[in-house]
Amino acid sequence: MSISSPSVFLLNVTGQIETGRFMGGDNLYFNYSFASGQDWEVILGLEECASQSARRSDDERQVFVWNFPIDITFKSTNPFGWPQIVICIYGKDFFENEVIMGYTACHIPITPGIHTRRLTTFVPESASTVQKLMSWLTGRRPEFVDPKLITQGRGREVTRVRSQGEITVTFNVMMKDFAKFGYDCGATGRTPYLAAPVKPPPSITVPREGQSDA
Amino acid sequence: MAEIHIIGQITGASGFPKASLFCKWILQLGGGWRVVEGLVEGQTQADQSEVSDTVSWCHPLDIHLATRGIQGWPRIMVQVYRQDDLSRIDLCGYGIIHIPTKAGHHTVTCHTWRPVGTFAEELRRAFLGGGPQLLSTEFIHSALERYRLLTVASGSVHFELGIILRNFEKYGVMC
Repeated sequence: MSISSPSVFLLNVTGQIETGRFMGGDNLYFNYSFASGQDWEVILGLEECASQSARRSDDERQVFVWNFPIDITFKSTNPFGWPQIVICIYGKDFFENEVIMGYTACHIPITPGIHTRRLTTFVPESASTVQKLMSWLTGRRPEFVDPKLITQGRGREVTRVRSQGEITVTFNVMMKDFAKFGYDCGATGRTPYLAAPVKPPPSITVPREGQSDA
Repeated sequence: MAEIHIIGQITGASGFPKASLFCKWILQLGGGWRVVEGLVEGQTQADQSEVSDTVSWCHPLDIHLATRGIQGWPRIMVQVYRQDDLSRIDLCGYGIIHIPTKAGHHTVTCHTWRPVGTFAEELRRAFLGGGPQLLSTEFIHSALERYRLLTVASGSVHFELGIILRNFEKYGVMC
């Protein structure tokens, strides 16, 4: 066979973390990172990075603009553990303390193409009202020790959070050799490699009465 | 064996009374299905929104299933509860959705419902909480027993699901 079967498929993600909307806070910046399963490996690009600090816009939009570029390529043999992007947003509160303003995570889209996601962010909540008051006064808000906790399903039931704010991300997704593994991710207009066009059957002529089929 | 990857999130819920809400989810499979990798049940974080009645759970789903047949296509059953400051929990709604059968990205909304009691029970629920709950989840996933229930609409749970299929075309199954 002339075409060699590939051993890995590649997933390339480019895009921007565009804007955010938050009610309180100013001078916001974020750290983003990617979390993926054991079968996945980053072969190119930054797996974690920090953004610039953005000030709220003066106009009626009241929006924070980062326009932060992301560019990363993964290789894998298995879709399980599909990469997720984790974004942790920090900012200054009313007393100029640097506090956590929100966490959010989402899977990289599984279909090639351009995707825009609006992600709601949330912050962990203090356990009691007294702790809430103390954290507001001292500026030490509850944070997750490991932000990658929000990319897992296990252990989430003990967390209490309050959702506030949203962030808009644009992804451009490209894949190489994904279909050659037999996977169909619903990419429109493309047939999987293994579903090669069927050759038309040879025409069969039935001999008419009185004729031989020689 | 044909395989399915379910990669997505329980993003959140809307339409419920403003409270701290969380959701228990269970993946239900037919007999011919096998879980290769991933968690098949869990509980989301408890979230209360600052501004609107939309809560955000951001709970990842990553499940790898294998099957020999298309009967018993996987379904996700959800039970939404609210939690108050004293950590008492109260039922808000039940719901079930089938995993989409088509490959690609899907936004699925699960409309939930809750059982309705007598007038006295509903009045008590409005003031004190704690209305009727189902003893068995069979009433959620089985169509046969639903005729016994009187229910009222509750809010909606939102899913963003990415479905990757493998080898279904090889077996002649069109999805």
